[in-house]
Amino acid sequence: MKTRARFVVALLGLSTLHAIAPSVANAQEPRLVGRISDPARTRVQSIVDSALAVGLPIEPIVDRALEGAAKGAPGDLIVSAVRRLWGELRIAREAFGDGASPGELSAGASALRAGASSADLAELRARRPGQPLTVAAAVLADLVAVGVPTDTAITAVLALAAGAGDSEYIAFRRNVERDIALGASPSAALGVRLGAAAAAETFDAASTGRTPQPTKRKP
Amino acid sequence: MTEQDDIIQRVAHTLKEPVRVDPGIVSRVMAEIDDLPAPGRAVPVSRSVFAWLRRRHTIRLSPLGGLTVAAAVAAAVLLGSRLLAPSGALLPSETGTLGASAEPTVIQFVLVAPGAASVVVVGDFNDWNVSTTPLARSEGDGVWSVTVPLSPGRYRYSFLVDGTTWLKDPHAASAIEDEFGRPNSVLTIGGA
Repeated sequence: MKTRARFVVALLGLSTLHAIAPSVANAQEPRLVGRISDPARTRVQSIVDSALAVGLPIEPIVDRALEGAAKGAPGDLIVSAVRRLWGELRIAREAFGDGASPGELSAGASALRAGASSADLAELRARRPGQPLTVAAAVLADLVAVGVPTDTAITAVLALAAGAGDSEYIAFRRNVERDIALGASPSAALGVRLGAAAAAETFDAASTGRTPQPTKRKP
Repeated sequence: MTEQDDIIQRVAHTLKEPVRVDPGIVSRVMAEIDDLPAPGRAVPVSRSVFAWLRRRHTIRLSPLGGLTVAAAVAAAVLLGSRLLAPSGALLPSETGTLGASAEPTVIQFVLVAPGAASVVVVGDFNDWNVSTTPLARSEGDGVWSVTVPLSPGRYRYSFLVDGTTWLKDPHAASAIEDEFGRPNSVLTIGGA
């Protein structure tokens, strides 16, 4: 009897080692080692662990830290950037839902950085049920980056949300950028291209009997 | 009758009285016998383990053993939560249009830099490693290029010229994020 009891205890001990060993092995993100100063790395690692704990993707977080390291940024600035990104990813996940892909969350974080709100992202999710959001959210950020006012960019992206595929979003952004490069103001360029897209949508809806989606976002 | 005969008779009387046996003892004994391996016949391991599990045991643990058990339970819970947590990896999960699928899309990075001695592209796709993805210079001109297969996703990147000068890609969108004072370009590949 004692032999069996000892066997059970030994088995539990081995199970403990087996369970803990991988955790210890994964405890430190290897890509950060040697790239960032130890104090900053410890703080970044805690943010990475926190992301893991709540199910956020760690890849964008590690990438942001490595970008700071490659550009010679001080540790505090790297930690600050990583922490901010963690918050944006969390808000994006709340808006897009638990099933959002890492790419969608990264793009959502960029859209938030561009000035979109959590409600805007949730509205985008609602208008594109079952469709990927990476490109739509990314185009929103890209439009703001070329000078389109945030509200205008959000309205445009939401207006396209129901009918446009990724390629239409990309074409829309390229057309706006081209118009800006040719001298148009960002707002005017976007207005012209959005008008063209709305006309095309109305034409398609008339052809197929569908109801065009509203172009204004919800207040 | 002698006194000795009387003692013998009393002892004999006592011995002749029926012994009262607990009525459940037979079933208990038979159950124990059932649990024992029959001579010359192998008992299935599962049956033996089941029988062992059915019996009551007293397990004595040292403090160290108790800690081991507690650690095992904690580790099991930790491992379970890790397994249930979504992976943190950048994985394509859905199909889209630009790039058409979750298959990697080959992207060519090009920079015109006639006076440069070296050009590398660094970004989210190569861990921002300045030595992983050097661009090659075309013969006779200043056009530098490299191709990189990328899965669907959103990638920020920048060119590093001569190991010192960071440049945005003049043909790509600018990234909205600029926390380190050196702006990036951004590339979005649909499908995720």
